[in-house]
Amino acid sequence: MKVQLDFVSSESLSSKGSMEKVSFILERIKKNVIVVLEEGLNPMEETELIEATMREINTKNFHGIEFYRLDHQAMNIRNKIANYIAGKRLGLTIVGPTRMVEAIKKEPDYISMLAKGGGKRRHISARGAGKSTKKARKRS
Amino acid sequence: MSTPFLNISGMFKEFKKYYKKFLKIFIKKKRVQLGFYGAVNAGKTTLANKISVDWLGKEVGTVSEVPHETRQVQKVENIIVKTNNGELKMNIVDMPGIATQVDYKQFSSFGLDEEGAKERAKEATKGIIEAIKWLDNVDAVLVVMDSTEDPYTQVNVTIIGNLEARGIPAIIIANKIDLPDSAPTSIENAFPQHVVVSISASTGENLDHLYDAIQEHLT
Repeated sequence: MKVQLDFVSSESLSSKGSMEKVSFILERIKKNVIVVLEEGLNPMEETELIEATMREINTKNFHGIEFYRLDHQAMNIRNKIANYIAGKRLGLTIVGPTRMVEAIKKEPDYISMLAKGGGKRRHISARGAGKSTKKARKRS
Repeated sequence: MSTPFLNISGMFKEFKKYYKKFLKIFIKKKRVQLGFYGAVNAGKTTLANKISVDWLGKEVGTVSEVPHETRQVQKVENIIVKTNNGELKMNIVDMPGIATQVDYKQFSSFGLDEEGAKERAKEATKGIIEAIKWLDNVDAVLVVMDSTEDPYTQVNVTIIGNLEARGIPAIIIANKIDLPDSAPTSIENAFPQHVVVSISASTGENLDHLYDAIQEHLT
């Protein structure tokens, strides 16, 4: 089984409302695609993603998602304001279907994801920062 | 660009949040509606039962090792706790555990047949949706975490972030401190901006501190 990753730039999501973003992500997840968002969802959108996921779960081929946002570190109000003024939003986020993603682990400065496909395990690491990736697609 | 409807909806949510905060300055609620949120098997129902049995003499729900034992919101009203500072009046609302996945096959290892497991999975997904919807109806929240587990999970971060965004006051519970692998300091380090109270819901250790903290921070 092939593992497909969609890298989604912040520009391509910025014009979408919360529900549109969630639908955009879930559409891909249900096709067994792992989505890497350059700019993450805010906590309200994350909750909407969980809620929408619960509505879509079935006993046949979709059992849910794994996701992780890189900027997990507890941020105080001062940092939040500083980031807001600097125009920085939420960090790199990785979302994948449970059947493809065995584990997502947070390391000090990167996310480590263990993907499974066709009985083989594949290790993928994603670091923060970097320029817009413009919907690049990779197959491994 | 987002639609005008979403902008109006967002503005309304913001207004509601600040309106609630404004009211709280002038109105001290007599009874707090306290929601118990957290990941699956963090000990929410054990804690709700302990409080309810101690002060009302009845249990809230069934506790089990099988994940998603609590699949419906369970509410107990009019609990009055005697604390060092007087009385703490509250309704407690025990929520189904929040998860990002529900695979019916996980229940098979607990002895459920396929039909039973599928039914349980279906109920669990509905329970999670119900728990999320209840965020609109709680005054304050206890976020229950298992102190033997890594607290840096996306579920915990999403719950905390959501409460912050909505302006709902919360206390984090570092539960299961009676277990040898317990590490409540890892929870304190993970969420330094929040009040963390270490307890054991099963033994009742430190519940007095929890009542004091609720009275001080959530009422």
